[in-house]
Amino acid sequence: MPQFTPGSSSVAENRRKFMDPTKKLEKLRDIAEEDVVRMLAHRAPGEAYKSIHPPIEELEEPECSVREMVKPTPGAAAGDRIRYVQFTDSMFFAPATPRIRPMMWFNRYRGIDPGVLSGRTIVEARERDVEAIAKEYIDNETYDTARTGLRGRTVHGHSVRLDQDGVMFDALRRSTRDARTGDIKYIKDMVGGAMDKEVTLGKPLSDDELLKRTTMFRNAQGGTWMEADDPEVADVIAQIHWNRTWGGFQPFIKRNEIKGDKDAGVKEMKLYTPRGGVE
Amino acid sequence: MAKIVDKVDLYDDRGKKLLGDVPITALSPLRNPAIRKICGMVARLAAVDLAGLEKKLQTGAIAGKQMLIRGKTLDLDIVGKADAIASQMKEMLTVEEGDETSVKKIGGGKRLLAEVPNARILADYSAARTNVCAALTHALIDTFGVSMWDAPKVKAAVWGMYPQDPAMAGTAVATLVDVPISNEGPGYTLRNIPVNHIAATVRKRAMPGACLSMILEESACYEMGDAIGPFERGHLLDLAFEGLNANNVLYNLIKDNGRDGTLADVVYACAEKAKADGIAKTKTKMGSGYSIYGTDDLQMWNAYASAGMLAAVMVNCAAMRAGQPVPSSIMYFNELLEHETGLPGVDYGKAQGTSVSSSFFSHSIYGGGGPGVFHGNHIVTRHAKGQIIPCFCAAMCIDADTQYFAPSRTSGLYGEVLGAIPEFAEPMQAVAEGAKSIM
Repeated sequence: MPQFTPGSSSVAENRRKFMDPTKKLEKLRDIAEEDVVRMLAHRAPGEAYKSIHPPIEELEEPECSVREMVKPTPGAAAGDRIRYVQFTDSMFFAPATPRIRPMMWFNRYRGIDPGVLSGRTIVEARERDVEAIAKEYIDNETYDTARTGLRGRTVHGHSVRLDQDGVMFDALRRSTRDARTGDIKYIKDMVGGAMDKEVTLGKPLSDDELLKRTTMFRNAQGGTWMEADDPEVADVIAQIHWNRTWGGFQPFIKRNEIKGDKDAGVKEMKLYTPRGGVE
Repeated sequence: MAKIVDKVDLYDDRGKKLLGDVPITALSPLRNPAIRKICGMVARLAAVDLAGLEKKLQTGAIAGKQMLIRGKTLDLDIVGKADAIASQMKEMLTVEEGDETSVKKIGGGKRLLAEVPNARILADYSAARTNVCAALTHALIDTFGVSMWDAPKVKAAVWGMYPQDPAMAGTAVATLVDVPISNEGPGYTLRNIPVNHIAATVRKRAMPGACLSMILEESACYEMGDAIGPFERGHLLDLAFEGLNANNVLYNLIKDNGRDGTLADVVYACAEKAKADGIAKTKTKMGSGYSIYGTDDLQMWNAYASAGMLAAVMVNCAAMRAGQPVPSSIMYFNELLEHETGLPGVDYGKAQGTSVSSSFFSHSIYGGGGPGVFHGNHIVTRHAKGQIIPCFCAAMCIDADTQYFAPSRTSGLYGEVLGAIPEFAEPMQAVAEGAKSIM
């Protein structure tokens, strides 16, 4: 049974939950497949998948043992184009974080190409595989309608102050908050283009609920402070750093022969910011 | 200094045992005859583009882009006289009767493949390229009776921008290895071959491709001074486990996770294998129940991690039948392995670091490259010593032509020429046979 990642805080537990493929992630909404396709804007709803090569079965693949051992995903088998979905997670306690997304997806999906950039996370895959990932990750608990965004371009928002109604800033105004119902709805697609129909995603989670669900260590506004509240996580990071440095110096010596070697951890880590953070 | 005493069993790409109890020292590029032959030929082979040369002289576009001098043209039937040119070149390149020298016609005389004999290389491998250029220049002048007044045109068409440009832009002679001035640093010669050439050579079979690629990368590590003294064992173990499927670790990781496994499944299977073989041991149990692992043999841990990384790349890329996920697969194999065990990722963090920059350059974020044109001789790929370029090669072998820079587009000639040489076509078998001959 894998350990996934260290720590005993709710943040660490949430991270393990997101990463563990045996744990089903809670479904918070059920967006119609057609609406997911609409928001992704790679093809029109109902339109057939375009392909970049014939189905694998019709291709003459080389006599390669790796190809014989590894089954293609449904999209690869059909020869689908490679497309993407991209999420922005607000640093104001969105459930997922840019870093945790690839770790979660690589535990749960085959044949994917995720990438973390500053504040947003893209995942590329064959088109029908991308749609399956997009549907699941818009529907489930990793997505909050106010603090998570589906953004193909002009992705800024992760580290920007929230709008007055607690929704993550979006320069393209792809989504809007219905003042009467409180629902967040997408009025533009992922890249900010026109959609033939609005897509309602639903109500945002409360701040208390977000703090319970987040996978983000953040020493501000009541967030979990890694160094003080869950030092084990920092200790394991320090351990990895120690081991990397050991290997970079002389990987043929024993670690306990190194002057200054300690057991795991960085005792009495200096904390430069007070609890609650500095805004 | 401790003697290297490790032994491994070598298996082929289908999990069949090739040779048992092989001392890893028999896999050293300095000793293994197959590896020595591969490296030697890589440095001594040159391809001559006769058809291109003929056209250059006809049009006056003699030294590459924008180097057109109208009126400075020559109409020579170079392709038609390929036989005469080849035999003259062979005569000039030969040092001793019966040595390795050969000059063969390819594609009906549109191209020549020249092998320069070992004896011509005294200190600098550039002798292969310079001597082929010089022999070709003279053979052309001689065959067509070119006058003293026209000879400079022939020289410029053959040598390209040399001597203004020591990299010889626009030359008619291509070698697998580039000129020394194009190397990132000393010892980088064998790292300067795009992975697509290697993928085409092994007919896009992932495991032999990774093997051939790793042979060149690890051989370069010896030339870079990276495999000296006690560091050598680490390089030999990496080559054995990642490149040569030692103890069938690589094959089993792919087989066990190929049907429905994810990249993370390969990570955990790799960690379990290291624990089962006594390489990783529980060191400290933390408050949450999480265990930090330690090791008494960090070089062996790195070899297991290297094999796991290649297996993970193969499983994820082959599921997508695409080469593009190779940097992200390298990154998250290492990230997940480090956070699963507390032990360092491949090449002690350098593989993961390298994957960050190579993600940018392989996804057209900066510039228009693709993983197929990557090699170890570049600022964004050079840092992990030997382990990551084989992953790029494997990924391009698996790619179902989703990439613009596909091996069929960039490397057809190399595949045709090198693929006909047994050591290049079946490197795993050749290295095992080579090891057997010196055990």
